[in-house]
Amino acid sequence: MNDTLIADAADAQVRRTATVESAREASAIQMQGLHKRFGRDTVALDGVDLTIQAGEFFTLLGPSGCGKTTLLRILAGLEEADDGRLAIGGRDVTEVPPHRRSVNTVFQSYALFPHLSVRENLAFGLKMRGMPPEEREARVAKIAEFIQLGDLVDRRVDQLSGGQRQRIALARALVCEPDVLLLDEPLSALDAGLRSQLQVELLRVQKRLGMTFVFVTHDQQEAMVMSDRIAVLNGGVIQQVGAPREVYEHPANAFVARFMGHDNLYPVSARSGNRLTTPLGELIAEAPGEGGLLLIRPETLDLLPGEVVGDNHLPATVAERLYRGSHAEYRLEIGETTLQATLNNRGRRLPEVGDRVTVTVAPEDLATLSE
Amino acid sequence: MSYSGVVPSARSRAMVRESRHLLFTVAPGATWIVIFLVLPSAYLMGVAFMTNGPYGLPEMPLSLESFRRLAGFGFLGWSPGNLYTLLRSLWQTLVSTGLVVLVAYPIAYYITTCREKWRPIMLLLVVVPSWTNQVIRTFGWMNLLAPGTPLSELAEALGLISANMGLYPSNFAVTLGLVYNFLPFMVLPLYAAFEKLDTAQVEAAQDLYASPVRAFWHAVFPQTLPGLLAGIVLVAIPAFGMYVIPELLGGGKGMMLGNLVANQFAGASNWPLGAAGAILMLIATFVGLFAMRRIGKRLGGGEEVVI
Amino acid sequence: MRKRTLKRGLTAFWWLTLAFLYLPLAVVVLFSFNASNSAATFTGISLRWYHRLLGNEEILSAFANSMVLAIVSSVIALVIGCLIGYGMYRHRHRKLGWLIVLIYLPIVLPDIVFGISEMAFFVQVHRLTGLLQPGLPTMIIAHVTFQVPFVALIVYSRFVGLDPTLFEAAKDLYATPAKRAVHFMLPTIKPALISAFFLSFTLSVDDFVISFFTAGPESATLPIYIWGAIKKGVSPEINAIATLMIGAVAIAAIISLVFSRRRPA
Repeated sequence: MNDTLIADAADAQVRRTATVESAREASAIQMQGLHKRFGRDTVALDGVDLTIQAGEFFTLLGPSGCGKTTLLRILAGLEEADDGRLAIGGRDVTEVPPHRRSVNTVFQSYALFPHLSVRENLAFGLKMRGMPPEEREARVAKIAEFIQLGDLVDRRVDQLSGGQRQRIALARALVCEPDVLLLDEPLSALDAGLRSQLQVELLRVQKRLGMTFVFVTHDQQEAMVMSDRIAVLNGGVIQQVGAPREVYEHPANAFVARFMGHDNLYPVSARSGNRLTTPLGELIAEAPGEGGLLLIRPETLDLLPGEVVGDNHLPATVAERLYRGSHAEYRLEIGETTLQATLNNRGRRLPEVGDRVTVTVAPEDLATLSE
Repeated sequence: MSYSGVVPSARSRAMVRESRHLLFTVAPGATWIVIFLVLPSAYLMGVAFMTNGPYGLPEMPLSLESFRRLAGFGFLGWSPGNLYTLLRSLWQTLVSTGLVVLVAYPIAYYITTCREKWRPIMLLLVVVPSWTNQVIRTFGWMNLLAPGTPLSELAEALGLISANMGLYPSNFAVTLGLVYNFLPFMVLPLYAAFEKLDTAQVEAAQDLYASPVRAFWHAVFPQTLPGLLAGIVLVAIPAFGMYVIPELLGGGKGMMLGNLVANQFAGASNWPLGAAGAILMLIATFVGLFAMRRIGKRLGGGEEVVI
Repeated sequence: MRKRTLKRGLTAFWWLTLAFLYLPLAVVVLFSFNASNSAATFTGISLRWYHRLLGNEEILSAFANSMVLAIVSSVIALVIGCLIGYGMYRHRHRKLGWLIVLIYLPIVLPDIVFGISEMAFFVQVHRLTGLLQPGLPTMIIAHVTFQVPFVALIVYSRFVGLDPTLFEAAKDLYATPAKRAVHFMLPTIKPALISAFFLSFTLSVDDFVISFFTAGPESATLPIYIWGAIKKGVSPEINAIATLMIGAVAIAAIISLVFSRRRPA
């Protein structure tokens, strides 16, 4: 059992470039049956099986308390799983303590050592590994150039702003050239502008290094922007694993759908072939699936002025409109039921509150999912 | 797919590791305190229930003789001496604590009204005298209050003391010494309380109650109460057991419980009697601590009454 | 208007209180330079009492005892207290009520009870086993006992004030337990260790009662010597030695002020 786990992981090795000339292998991660309880009653992880590919930007997404941080801490070795196995880069590390794992973490609070200068912070991991001083300095200089730290390296930690600390924390982890880099909500303490700027920077770094990144966040927008793949967690259980588009457009269940920001979920009360009966009326879906809930994404809807009759044409009243410049968000009423719609602002007339309109949706944009 | 064989051990191994770590870090200090303080205090408490031997050392059989002696019953029948000492200790504790509060309260408030950059210096000025040795501080008061000094002559001129007596040794000198000694212990917690004062509440009170006295009573005083209680604990408990100040400033008529106890171990040599006095002191200490905790908790400022 | 009178009154009260606090010390300092040996009248400036000090072997040995006692006990207390402080921090989520009680015990126990307990204990142990004869070693033991809680609490509160993920960052960056102690924990709590050492030192030098009861005939410290001299009848030499001790405290006060200035908050 263990042997296959390790063999799988070894197969998944991919060449990657590193900050230094010598190219190293990126590492895959294999998790099997990970369980973790805190105290007697709190279940943090309830049987997690997951494979993260080498060189992937992988995101663990979920609300607070879903187990994503526990999972990350188990990867780092800061927490020990009660049950299950973990292999990184083809090596079983389930019981390896953090200081002997080639894994580094960018902490949410950055955790820069206050008694050390920025330069000493950057060199800390290398020093602990017993690297001679000249080599350490060379590596630190290289990473400083790579992350474009400029004169930040000569400052004291308490002279840094939040964004600067974040970049130092990233550099401190990267300079060790770990097999896997773990990031625990590293951008959550920053304001929106800086945040999106650092998202781009982080993504660029990951692509250039080809290193395996495991990123934890509760922000689905951030997850979609950055990830190659996303795992959505809830209650210590993985709900869905997939590429951002897959998770957003084809959520596996209602939890994932709601967490990705979808509100238009309607129970299917009856179906015959492609025809689904919902509180909105009868709708035709191209490939409806077997689920009992119909998901309608707001951006797939179109609004026609007046009443137009046809398949997938629903008469509605505009109850509310939020104008956002590039687009407008609508709350529509169809009988007793409300429906959210997003309309791109292409210069057409945007329906006003109180207008009678017709909502249309293409059959291929409709899908059902289970509760 | 099952690793049930390994399951419980991961958790229990971690627990064993943590427990060993706790033992390794805490055991030396805990053992030290147990051997060199808990054991001696327990022994002392035992001594109180033993009989005084011919050389002042405790002997068997067990008896309550020392408590009878403490209450004043001796070979020559009952005498009030020890009881006076007890009452004097209580009285001195109450008076000096009260006076310390009266001086410290305005001082602590005054420091918070001053500019922020001066406050640490002002606090330091209040605290520094207490860094010097207690014996030296008390010696300073002996110099100030001795017969023939300006203060003594002033008191003489005012008719407060008779000629050539000097202000020391006396009960007054002991009170003064206690107030002097414990003032910083009251200023510090009160200052902390004043610094945290919610000024919005004070302003609201000035709005609602108009008179400054009532505003103070309803808005300021309750907020400083936790600091006040902490200060009272820090002052009253050590004051009750004070040895040096009454010994140097009090003379024979200024003796307090601490002197009674100490004398049984030094000159008079009656360990059981001294130990009985020590038990009394311990009871007073723990009752005082407990009472303050209770009051503090009821006020909702419990965590600040921790010493 | 009324506010201003209040403020003026308080200012006056403040200066009066300061006078009250410093008058006894000032008198000691002043009379240490007195030319005559009168304790009541100042007749002129001289350094004769300081000259006498240098020739007084008892004082010099008391000074040496004080220093040995303070330094040795502070070092021992630093090691033991630091371990407890870290243990309390690391296991703060466990039920450690018994440990808290144990640590507060030396703090809340009245000096005199503390002193006579130790004395009675040491005397009996010495009678029964021949060990722990009253002297510097017993004083060191007693001093360590009351210093340990302060060190432990200072170290503990320093750890509590740290971001707990720093410990994890050190692990994450390949530091073994030993290296974590040397390269992360000790340097991080260095300021706390320094202030704990100075506090222990001050407590030791400041203590009279506990030293008095645990001392042997050869191990008098400066406060014990001064006490004896006062009891025997006041000699102006005491003013001189007391002035030197006050001077040491004043220097310590200035150092602590400079320190607190340099590190804001």
